[in-house]
Amino acid sequence: MSEKALLVATGLVRAFGGFRAVDEVDLTVTEGTIHSVIGPNGAGKTTLFRLLTGILRPTSGTLEFDGAQIGGKPPDMVARLGLAQAFQTTNIFPRMSVLESVRAALVSRHHRTRDMFSWFHTRLTGEAMDMIDRVGLTEFADEESQTLSHGDQRALEVALALAVQPRLLLLDEPTAGMSPFESQRMVSLVRALSRDMGLTVILSEHDMDTVFGISDEVTVMHQGKVIADGPAAEVRANDEVMSIYLGSEA
Amino acid sequence: MSESSIITNLIGILTTASTLFMVAAGLTLVFGALRLINIAHGSFYMYGAYLATTLAARLGGAGFWVSLVICPLVVAAMGVLVEVLVLRRLYRREHLTQLLATFALLLIFADIALRLWGKSVRSIKAPSALNGHFQFGGAAVPVYDLFVIGVAALVAIGLWALMSRSKLGWRVRAVVDDPEVLAASGTNVPLILTGVFALGAMLAGLSGVVIAPEQAVQPGMDAEIIVAAFIVAVIGGLGSIVGAAIGSLIIGVVETLGAVWTPSWASTFIYALMILVLAIRPWGLFGETER
Amino acid sequence: MSSGKSPVPTASSQEEARVPTGAGAAARSSSLARSVATPVALTVLMVALGFAVGGNTLTTLEEVLALVVFATATNLLLGQAGLVSFGQAVFYGIGAYTVGLGWLHWHLSFWLTFFLAPVVSALVAIPVGLVALRARRLYFALSTLAFSELAYQLAESRYDFTQGANGVFGPFVPSVLTDPIKGYLFLLAVTVVSLLLMWKVTRSPFGLVTRAIRENRGRAQALGVNVYRHQLIVFVVSGFFCGLAGAMFVVYSQSAYPELLDWTSSGTPIFMAVIGGMGTFLGPALGAFIYQFGHDELVRYVSDWQLVLGGVLLLIVMFWPDGVLGSLTKVKWSQWRNSLNKGGSDE
Repeated sequence: MSEKALLVATGLVRAFGGFRAVDEVDLTVTEGTIHSVIGPNGAGKTTLFRLLTGILRPTSGTLEFDGAQIGGKPPDMVARLGLAQAFQTTNIFPRMSVLESVRAALVSRHHRTRDMFSWFHTRLTGEAMDMIDRVGLTEFADEESQTLSHGDQRALEVALALAVQPRLLLLDEPTAGMSPFESQRMVSLVRALSRDMGLTVILSEHDMDTVFGISDEVTVMHQGKVIADGPAAEVRANDEVMSIYLGSEA
Repeated sequence: MSESSIITNLIGILTTASTLFMVAAGLTLVFGALRLINIAHGSFYMYGAYLATTLAARLGGAGFWVSLVICPLVVAAMGVLVEVLVLRRLYRREHLTQLLATFALLLIFADIALRLWGKSVRSIKAPSALNGHFQFGGAAVPVYDLFVIGVAALVAIGLWALMSRSKLGWRVRAVVDDPEVLAASGTNVPLILTGVFALGAMLAGLSGVVIAPEQAVQPGMDAEIIVAAFIVAVIGGLGSIVGAAIGSLIIGVVETLGAVWTPSWASTFIYALMILVLAIRPWGLFGETER
Repeated sequence: MSSGKSPVPTASSQEEARVPTGAGAAARSSSLARSVATPVALTVLMVALGFAVGGNTLTTLEEVLALVVFATATNLLLGQAGLVSFGQAVFYGIGAYTVGLGWLHWHLSFWLTFFLAPVVSALVAIPVGLVALRARRLYFALSTLAFSELAYQLAESRYDFTQGANGVFGPFVPSVLTDPIKGYLFLLAVTVVSLLLMWKVTRSPFGLVTRAIRENRGRAQALGVNVYRHQLIVFVVSGFFCGLAGAMFVVYSQSAYPELLDWTSSGTPIFMAVIGGMGTFLGPALGAFIYQFGHDELVRYVSDWQLVLGGVLLLIVMFWPDGVLGSLTKVKWSQWRNSLNKGGSDE
C-alpha cells in the first residue's frame, strides 16, 4: 500500500453566519485506504463531505486532492478530477432504469456528453453491466430506479459513483436505514472495492462495528472539530475520545 | 428638472408602483406559502376591475365605494373555489403541472370575462370626493393618485402586521418550513392554504378596483399585469413581500422616467432590467439563495 | 476499464451472461426494424393524405406541419430536458420574420431566408439561454415569458424595421410553393427531415444525459456533467427548430406578425405536447394534429374556443398527465415487458 496522501485538508472552515459547522479541520487520507469519519449527529460530517465534493464553498482553509487545489471548485469539476460521492439521501434518476442511469454516468466519464449523432451510449452496455454486476444489481438492470428497494437504491448509488472511475469515493452513511443483511452486503462491497480496484474510500458512519471492522484509519469529529485521528486500532483504544463520543451519543 | 416635474414624476412612480405592488404582493404571498406560481393571478385583478364597472353602472354614485369593499371579497371567493377545486389536487405535483393548470385557468377566466362583459372598453368614474387636484410645490397632484398610494401603503402595513405580528402570520410561515409539525399541533393546514390564496386573490382584486377609474378596463388586462408582476417577482425575489415592494418601486421608476425620456423604448426597459438582475443575482434581490 | 465490450452475445457464454436481456440481440434488431418502419409508413401515409384531401384541408395540413415541428422542438426542452419555457414563440416568430423581413428589406430569395431562419433563431437563442438558464426552474419559466413579451414589444414598436402591428405581408413565397400540393409536399419533406434529426438527438449520448439532468440535476453534476452548458445546447437546438417551424409557417400564411412572438403563443406548443404526451417523441406531433383539427371543428359550433381549450388542458393536466400517446405507450410497454419477462430497451 502506498503512503501517498491523496486528499489533504488544512484548516478547513465552513461557517453559516456565526455558526461553524466545520471548524479548523485537518484531514489526511492515504491512497488505497478506507478512512472513516465518525461523530454524533451535528458533528459536521455531512458538511465536511459537501465541502469535499464542491457543493459548498469553504469559508477558509485549503483542500488539496491529488496535488490539485479543489477548495471552492464546482461539483462537476471535482467529479471530473476523480472524486465521487454516493449520497445518503437517495439521489438517483427516478424514472430512468438502472442500466440507463449507469450508461449516462459512463457517457459523462467518456466525455461524450455533447455527442448528438452517434450510438455510442448503446455500446456502453457491457461496461455498464460490469458496474451493475459488481454492486449486485444484475437482475434489476432494466427496472425503473424509483421502484427499487432502499438497499438496492444505495447499491445503485455506489454503481453511479463508480461509473466515473473515481480515485476517491465518498460514502455518506452507507448502511443507514438498512437491514443487517443489507448492511453486510454493503460492507463486503466496500471492502471488495478497496481491495480489487485499489479505490480510496472515505465513509461516514454511525455503526461502530462497521467502522472498526473495515477501516484502516479513523477520524473522530465533534461539534465541527477533529478530536481524534489515526489508525483504527489506536482510535478505538483511546478511551477518553470514545467516552466523549459515546457519552454525547447517549 | 423643475420642482413641479419632480413631484409629478414622483407621484407617477408611486402610483404605478402601488398598483403593481398590490398585485405582486398577492402573487409572492401565494408563492411563499403554497410554493405555487399562479399564472391566473392577473385574472383576479381583471375581475376586480370588471366587477367594479358593473356595480358602478348599477349603483351610480356610491358605486365606487361599494365596489371597493364588495369586489375584493367576491374575487376572494373565486380564489377559494379555485384553490379547493383545482389547486389542492396539484400541490404534490411538479411545477410544470401547476403552471399549466393555472395557465388553463387564465384561458378559462379570460373567456368567461369576454362572455360576461364583451370586448368593449369599460370604465368607472372616480367618486367626486376623490376628484380634482391638490396643489403641491407648484405641481397639480391628482387626488386620486394620492388615494391609490394610500391604499397601497395601508395594504403594505397590513401585510407586515399580519405576517410578523399576528399568530396567523406565524402559522403561515410555519406552513412553508414545517407543515407536519404545524398539523400535529392542531392547526388546520388546508384552511390556512386556502386562506392565503384567497388573500392573494383579494389583493389582486382590490388593485383592480382601485385602478379602474384611471385605466381602460378591457380584455388583455390580465396578461398585461401578470407579466409585470412576474418581472417584479423575478427582480424582487419570489416569496418576499419586501422584494415585491422594492421591485415595484424599481419598475415604477423605470416605467415613469422611461416614458418621459425615451418614450419609444420605454416598454423595453423593464425587460432589460430583469435581464440585468438575472445575470447578477438569479434568485432576485430578496429571494432565497442557492449555493 | 475497456470500453470495447460489445452488447451482441459472442461465442463466450460469460459474455452472454453480461447482456441483461433474454431476448437480447433479437429484441434489439427487431426494435431497429420497427424504428425504421414507423417513419417510413407515416411518411407514405402523409403523402397519400396530401393527394387525397381537398385544397382547404391541404392548407390546414400545411399549418399543422409547421406546428408539428414547433411542438416537437418545444418538447426537446419540456419533455426531454424538463425545462418549461414560455418563450419558444420568440424563435418561431424570429424564423417567420427572417423570411418576411429578408424579402422586404434586402430582397433575399426565399430559399436563402428559409434556411437562414433557423440559424438566426439559434443565434438569438444563445444570449437568451445564457441569461435565462442561470435561473432556477420557476425563475427560468418566468424569464422566458418576459423575453417573449420583450420580443413582442420590439416587433410591435420598431415600425420602421418590422412594420409594427401590421406585420409583414408580401409575395415572398415563390409561386411554386403557393400551389397547395407542392407547398404541402415541400413542408412534409422538411418535417420528416427535422423530426428524424430531432429524434436522433434524443436517442444519443447527448439525449441520455439530457434526461439524466431532468431527473436529477444535482446528481448529473456530481457525475461530471456541466449542466448549464448542456442545457444551453438543448436550448439552442430547440430554438433552431422552432425557427425552422416559423419559416414553415410563412409558407402557409405568407405573412409574419407580432402576435406570433407573444407568450400566450408559446403556450400552444406546450399545450400540444401535453395533450399528445410529453414523455414520448411523437406525442407533440399528435397533439398538433389534435389541436389544429379540434380547433377548426369546434370553432364552427362553439364560439368559446378559449374556454374549451382551457378546460381540456386543465382536465388533462389534472387527470391524464401522460397525454394521449403517453398513456397508450405506457400500457403497451408494461404489457410487452411482462410478456418478455425481461425485454431490453435501447434508450
